Amino acid sequence: MRRIIGIVLLAIVVLGITLSLAEIPFGTPKTHVGDYYVNEGVKETGAVNIVTSVVLNYRGFDTLGEITVLFIATIGLGALLKTHKERKKKRDVTPASLVLSTGCRFLFPLLIVFAIYIIFHGHLSPGGGFQGGAIIASAFLLTYLGCNRARANERRYKLIESSGGLVFVIVGVLGLIFGGYFLLNFLPKGTPFSLFSAGIIPIIYIAIGLKVGSELVSVIDNMVGESV
Amino acid sequence: MIYYIGAFGLVFIGLYIMLTKRNLIKVLIGLNILDTGVNLFLISIGYVGKGTAPIFSRGSEQVLMVDPVPQALVLTAIVIGVAVLALALSLAIMLHKHYGTLNLRKVKEQRW
Amino acid sequence: MVSPVLLIAVPLGLAFAIPLFGFISKKISKYIPPVAMLFNLILSLMLMPSTLKGPIVVSIGGWNPPFCINLVVDSLSILFSVLIALVGFLVSIYALDYMEKKATEKYHILYLLLLVGATGVVLTGDIFNLFVFFEILCISSYALVAYLGDKAGVESGIKYLIQGSIGSSLILIGIGILYGMFGSLNIADIASNINSIGSTALLIPLALLVTGFGVEGAIFPLNAWLPDAHSSAPSSISAILSGIAIGVGVYALTRVIFTLFGVSSIFPFLAILGVLTLLVGEASAFKQNNLKRMLAYSSTGQIGLIVFGLGIANYHGVAGGLFQVVSHGLGKSLLFMAAGYMIYRTGSMDISALKGIGKKMPLTSIAFTIGAFSLIGLPPFAGFASKFLIIQGALLKQDALFFVLAALVLLATVIEGAYFLKVCQIIHFKEGNNQKKKDAPLVALIPMFILVSLIIIIGIYPNLVSDFLNSAASGLLDKLAYIEGVLG
Repeated sequence: MRRIIGIVLLAIVVLGITLSLAEIPFGTPKTHVGDYYVNEGVKETGAVNIVTSVVLNYRGFDTLGEITVLFIATIGLGALLKTHKERKKKRDVTPASLVLSTGCRFLFPLLIVFAIYIIFHGHLSPGGGFQGGAIIASAFLLTYLGCNRARANERRYKLIESSGGLVFVIVGVLGLIFGGYFLLNFLPKGTPFSLFSAGIIPIIYIAIGLKVGSELVSVIDNMVGESV
Repeated sequence: MIYYIGAFGLVFIGLYIMLTKRNLIKVLIGLNILDTGVNLFLISIGYVGKGTAPIFSRGSEQVLMVDPVPQALVLTAIVIGVAVLALALSLAIMLHKHYGTLNLRKVKEQRW
Repeated sequence: MVSPVLLIAVPLGLAFAIPLFGFISKKISKYIPPVAMLFNLILSLMLMPSTLKGPIVVSIGGWNPPFCINLVVDSLSILFSVLIALVGFLVSIYALDYMEKKATEKYHILYLLLLVGATGVVLTGDIFNLFVFFEILCISSYALVAYLGDKAGVESGIKYLIQGSIGSSLILIGIGILYGMFGSLNIADIASNINSIGSTALLIPLALLVTGFGVEGAIFPLNAWLPDAHSSAPSSISAILSGIAIGVGVYALTRVIFTLFGVSSIFPFLAILGVLTLLVGEASAFKQNNLKRMLAYSSTGQIGLIVFGLGIANYHGVAGGLFQVVSHGLGKSLLFMAAGYMIYRTGSMDISALKGIGKKMPLTSIAFTIGAFSLIGLPPFAGFASKFLIIQGALLKQDALFFVLAALVLLATVIEGAYFLKVCQIIHFKEGNNQKKKDAPLVALIPMFILVSLIIIIGIYPNLVSDFLNSAASGLLDKLAYIEGVLG
């Protein structure tokens, strides 16, 4: 009986979705908003990567909400996993082989340099703060797995996380003070294709990159310390 | 068209896993699949036939570009999905500490 | 005139700065949420008079409306914003003592960010931005429900998280379909073009969005998470969740159904669903022996009443539903605050353990009794005025279906009266064991009595809030003013 109801419900839902999707033909340009961003984006924001200018300039408020969500997840994780007493216990695992640990130590600075390149060039090529932060976190995860490194310093991560978020909000409020609109792009836009262009976008992306990187590393750190 | 079918296929698989499986880790994997399906659906809405990535490179004229807005939406949605999954995994660790099992049918301390 | 963006930016900046303050001094972090919420309260009250003339529209980043995110502050939004700031402020003062031993700075960060998310949902004018702030609200509440780390909290937390995240994914699919159909994410822009697509194709995005927002707003088949979550959380968090979070879920539903879609055929369905929620909630609350679980089921009942009021879709019904949001927010927070200390002093959550507490904690018991009377709907309190408006709206509709539904609402009120009066009888008239008086501390009593006086004042002079309710109700029923305010 339940299966029949389930299948009938599924058929109705699929029919409804097909009806609505018939209004959205695949592969046609649908919006005037998207065309506006593509045509006017470089002139108005100075960033050559249109997705970056949408993420940080036209819809910067969503990005502010997004870093808040990641902040909440990190804080919540730290609060929940803190109630265990054995957090600082040293893990008893077999140490990694010589090839693995040497390779990890060799790769770690290369990964960090790559992450910094991606963060800095967020407005010129595909990339940006979130992507660079994830690469920083994977560099640290590599050293946890391969080099059996020591535990991390929690105060330093807390400092970087809070300052990153605070920089974003302060830049927005400065836009409010100088121009009358929150998150107004008030620094000079420079010439396109050069590194120091696009106003406030590189500054915010650096803050976001550091923040996301340190948050993901502290999440990994909290979970590694758990012995289940 | 195949992108729509694929995206909704992933969504339905994810929903089926979340609603029927008993092990908590499998349910969380179903959540991840659901999120992936939704993100794929959002990106495929913005596709313009024969368009390229919306990034200008030096010396190119105005070419046809895909819609940048869904890509920005998906950037946000991926991060939100990761945050929820991290919180859920920490709750799974705590659940195992209290109950000793990850079977959702057995974790029913609260009565009606 | 100050910009309404500060209502979101200042508490958010303070929440990011709490760990930095924690490096200086450990004790300062519990005073920051009250300061931030006091700022929000004063700013919202200052902005209230100007919203009566028309919505305040602020664009973020200086671009013009369909190409940017904008905040749209009309009278409905500012009403919710004042309610959030007021209840948030009072509960944070209550938590200064209640969470003294258990709270670290992480609790205060999560608490403040929950309120920032709630304020962001009610102020924004863009549907994806609404989703992002709604996620901020939901994720902080998942973390706060499981905050104490005990068995019940973690179990309720994981079930709430699974159901809530399914709801959020459904909302995201609905937003995607809407973007594909209309090409823009601005609520006013979509609302002005809504008639260009046939209404059968619009049914799926509407159903997805209503289901997704209904999980957080606790509509009937989707509220299985609510009794567990609200009863296992610490009492200050239960007060915030019951009073504000489900109210914000109802706001999101309202904004989507009335302003975005505006379809009139869904309203009877909504009214029936509301009465069904009300009856199931009240009947389940009647059988409970656990005090906080009973209050949680009563919350689901009240949300059913609010949805019924909105589903009547005439002027009195919508105004009554919004008034019920206000009186439920004030009354339920008061009940959870009082219950928190009563449970703490007796050490057990059973109702039968509350015998004789009326003599042991006289002021707290009086506060609890007044909150209970207001929620039942007895005359000099705020709950009476709101229920009266809803029933009046139902009777004015001149439709047989609504007469039947109004009669069911009165039946549910009788059931509600039965269990609340039973609890009050146990508190005041039964004999307990040790009789020494040890009431709740002053820091907790002050917010409770501010709420008591507000409930009594609004009950006696409902004209204080009725201007805003009328303007909010007419703004919902006629969405042209909203669209013109944004798009010009």
